[in-house]
Amino acid sequence: MSSLLAAASFDVPTIEYGQLSPMLIIFGVAVLSLLVEAFAPRGSRRPIQLVLVFAGLAAAFAAVVMIRGTQHIAAMGSVAVDGPALFMQGAILVLAFIAALVMAERQVDPLGDAFAPRASALPGSTDEIAFTRLGWLQTEVWPLFLFSVGGMLLFPASADLLTMFVALEVVSLPLYIMAGLARRRRLLSQEAALKYFVLGAFSSAFFLYGTALFYGYAGSVDLSAISDALTANAGSMWLVITATGLVSVGLLFKIGAVPFHQWTPDVYQGSPTPVTGFMAACTKIAAFGALLRIMYVALGGIRWDWRPMMYVIAALTMIVGTLFALTQTDMKRMLAYSSIAQAGFMLVGVIATNQAGLSGTMVYLVAYGIATIGAFAIVTLVRDSTGEASHLSQWAGLGRKAPIVASAFALFLLAFAGIPLTSGFTGKFAVFTAGIAGGATPVVIIGLVASAVAAFFYVRVIVLMFFNEPTSDDGVSVVVPSGFTTLAITISVALTLVIGLVPQLILDLANQAGLFIR
Amino acid sequence: MSVLLATIEQSGSTGEQIVFWVCAAIAVVGAVGMLISRRAVHSALFIAATMIALAVLYVSQGAPFLGMAQIVVYTGAVMMLFLFVLMLVGVDSTESLVETLKGQRIAGLALALGFAVLLFAAIGNVSYNFAVGIDGANAADGGNVQGIAHLIFDRYLLAFEVTSALLITAALGAMVLAHRERHTPRKSQREQSEDRVRSGEPQNLPGPGVYALHNAVGTPGLLPDGQPTDRSVPEPLRGVSAAVGVDHEDTRRVNALAAGGAIIPGKAEDES
Amino acid sequence: MGEVYLPILVLGILGAAFAVFSVAAPSIIGPRRYNRARLDAYECGIDPTPQPIGGGRFPIKYYLTAMLFIVFDIEIVFLYPFAVAFDQLRLFGLIEMAVFIVTVLAVYAYVWRRGGLEWD
Repeated sequence: MSSLLAAASFDVPTIEYGQLSPMLIIFGVAVLSLLVEAFAPRGSRRPIQLVLVFAGLAAAFAAVVMIRGTQHIAAMGSVAVDGPALFMQGAILVLAFIAALVMAERQVDPLGDAFAPRASALPGSTDEIAFTRLGWLQTEVWPLFLFSVGGMLLFPASADLLTMFVALEVVSLPLYIMAGLARRRRLLSQEAALKYFVLGAFSSAFFLYGTALFYGYAGSVDLSAISDALTANAGSMWLVITATGLVSVGLLFKIGAVPFHQWTPDVYQGSPTPVTGFMAACTKIAAFGALLRIMYVALGGIRWDWRPMMYVIAALTMIVGTLFALTQTDMKRMLAYSSIAQAGFMLVGVIATNQAGLSGTMVYLVAYGIATIGAFAIVTLVRDSTGEASHLSQWAGLGRKAPIVASAFALFLLAFAGIPLTSGFTGKFAVFTAGIAGGATPVVIIGLVASAVAAFFYVRVIVLMFFNEPTSDDGVSVVVPSGFTTLAITISVALTLVIGLVPQLILDLANQAGLFIR
Repeated sequence: MSVLLATIEQSGSTGEQIVFWVCAAIAVVGAVGMLISRRAVHSALFIAATMIALAVLYVSQGAPFLGMAQIVVYTGAVMMLFLFVLMLVGVDSTESLVETLKGQRIAGLALALGFAVLLFAAIGNVSYNFAVGIDGANAADGGNVQGIAHLIFDRYLLAFEVTSALLITAALGAMVLAHRERHTPRKSQREQSEDRVRSGEPQNLPGPGVYALHNAVGTPGLLPDGQPTDRSVPEPLRGVSAAVGVDHEDTRRVNALAAGGAIIPGKAEDES
Repeated sequence: MGEVYLPILVLGILGAAFAVFSVAAPSIIGPRRYNRARLDAYECGIDPTPQPIGGGRFPIKYYLTAMLFIVFDIEIVFLYPFAVAFDQLRLFGLIEMAVFIVTVLAVYAYVWRRGGLEWD
């Protein structure tokens, strides 16, 4: 009992509110947005939410710009505020802004926005028809969206595995729900949500198990402490390797790397298309940020042990993603497999384990993210009477029906393919040169071959759009969107071209970001 | 296993050993029972038993916080949610054991085995060089729960506060996916009574026939002419009226009684 | 060390004894007058019937209630160490706990305003 009296004193922890401000702003706005859902009358919810979301994202971005150059581990060792973290936070905020523009669209679907009027109504029930007729909107997507973005800001900046795990869950939970909210094809959407949730929860468990084993090895979940323990060669390598594998499974799942990619096509296809764009672009950045941080900061010392594993996964991801994309007949599924293949290319940058690999991956992530959101935004515009016309054959002759939209889509596809003068080339070039410098030449060669094959199916779609006759009266048309989607596509096109034509801008930015702090 | 035995022998105290062996047996039986029972509800109850046994072990090992969290969160909350979900799915629905993907079971078994081998190899090699033991760790902050409090409110403060985002998302998601919002205004009491008068039948429905023969409200009441009426049965039970049924033998006896007949043998005598 | 567990053992024996006694005593000391109505199983007022096909599914609103309960139940995990170490954490701990609870209360407000707490 005497030990109770001699209780240790408790010092008030130091919290660097300024350095944490980007995510604090987003979480604060998210709670505000929830209160709007609670107290604002139904009609005024949407405008208030839109103001909150865009103002919040802009304010958080401004905060990131204000604290640029910070090199500090904040919040008692929980959050590493360093160059790469800030770069990725900025990129996530910009991409989330574009994605939010697409999500805010209400004009392309005659029934309302992209989300089910009430997700709880049974698909096809009289309730659902009544809600649709009343024109109600599920504005709850906005707080969910903001919480997810908040988690994404924390995820790549987490300096210990426990914070990283909480961030992983904050990123994922809202996404699971948002995946099930599509207005059209409700059953497909609900299936997507369920698959994403079950597999996501499964992979989170792997991450947690790995975290526990890391604690068993190093006596701490801090990334720097794990690194120190490795340097001191403290315990059994078996334990570290197993822990590395388990933690990697959790992150590779979020990235969509083979063999943890099975959810990707179903979820990308079933989710509301604006959410798919957001998920594909922003989740990838956050998850790659976390993977890079763990691999570079904590496990840099044993890179010779995990690199063979990553070699295999990167090669498999590129090969499987590319080959399966070739056989798809649905546009969203094709883009899903293409995103798997892209994840493989990005993994080359992770394998490189050098400064160029880090900055190259970041550049690639931004380039890919912008093109992805743009591409999915265009998918929302090609419609027939039942909703989005996502079958490839329905895209035939689109270049004659809507030359501008088709050209923009062609640009994004060329960027995916990594054709020079587009953003994709900048990204691929940065990653592959880093890979060669890092001694990963065989993987780079596989990557180059896979890129060539991938270019084939991207170009095939372009040929389909521009050189095929449109199928007569199939009812497919390109809808004229409101300013929201137009602005989103315009920004995406502009950024894709800028990064392609003046790559030095973003390369310098990524290089200035420097390395992770320890 | 031998390591485990050695640990127990070192720990010495017989009371602790008894607690360990009793709880360990319950935990293992519960875990195996969960796997082999066909009905999901039985599985859920088996897990509950396992979790309670584990909670007792945690407490007896000097980790009261973990034991308490195990009881409150896992046994209390998560298990309850499991049971709710089972009820939602249908408590009698049994698992379909048909293999939809060919070779999935074998592949699953092989992977699980490989994973188990890997984990045993890894965990068997855990180094204890930094471990101070639970007593040492508890002493640092004046107690087990105090130590946890210091970690939550100091080192992991941000993770703790961000957890609130998770709780919000969970509740919000449950509302979005499961709450049926009304799209017509709720009827006021006045409107309800007006509707009732307009329906042409403002009076009470006939009472159920619970008095003489059954004590169940599902038993239909008898109209003055002796015919059973379904309308006396509460509405939710009417759908299963085939199961509730009218016992025509009972009806005959009641009719005979009403007609002034003698008490029929077999009828309850001592009902006052 | 072993005697520490003696009260638990005694409590367990007492509990088991009470259960056995409660079940056994009425059948020994109670009057025995049987008739048909008395022998009917009394289960929430209706005759016990086999479950309908599909197992008698519950409405989804039970899930909502369960989920909301869990969300606020999880808070206990944090409240417990906070309460135990309150004297050490002092004002800062109180503020942090208040921030946490107020944040979670925001979703409570949402549930309440949207009718999640109403039953019909």
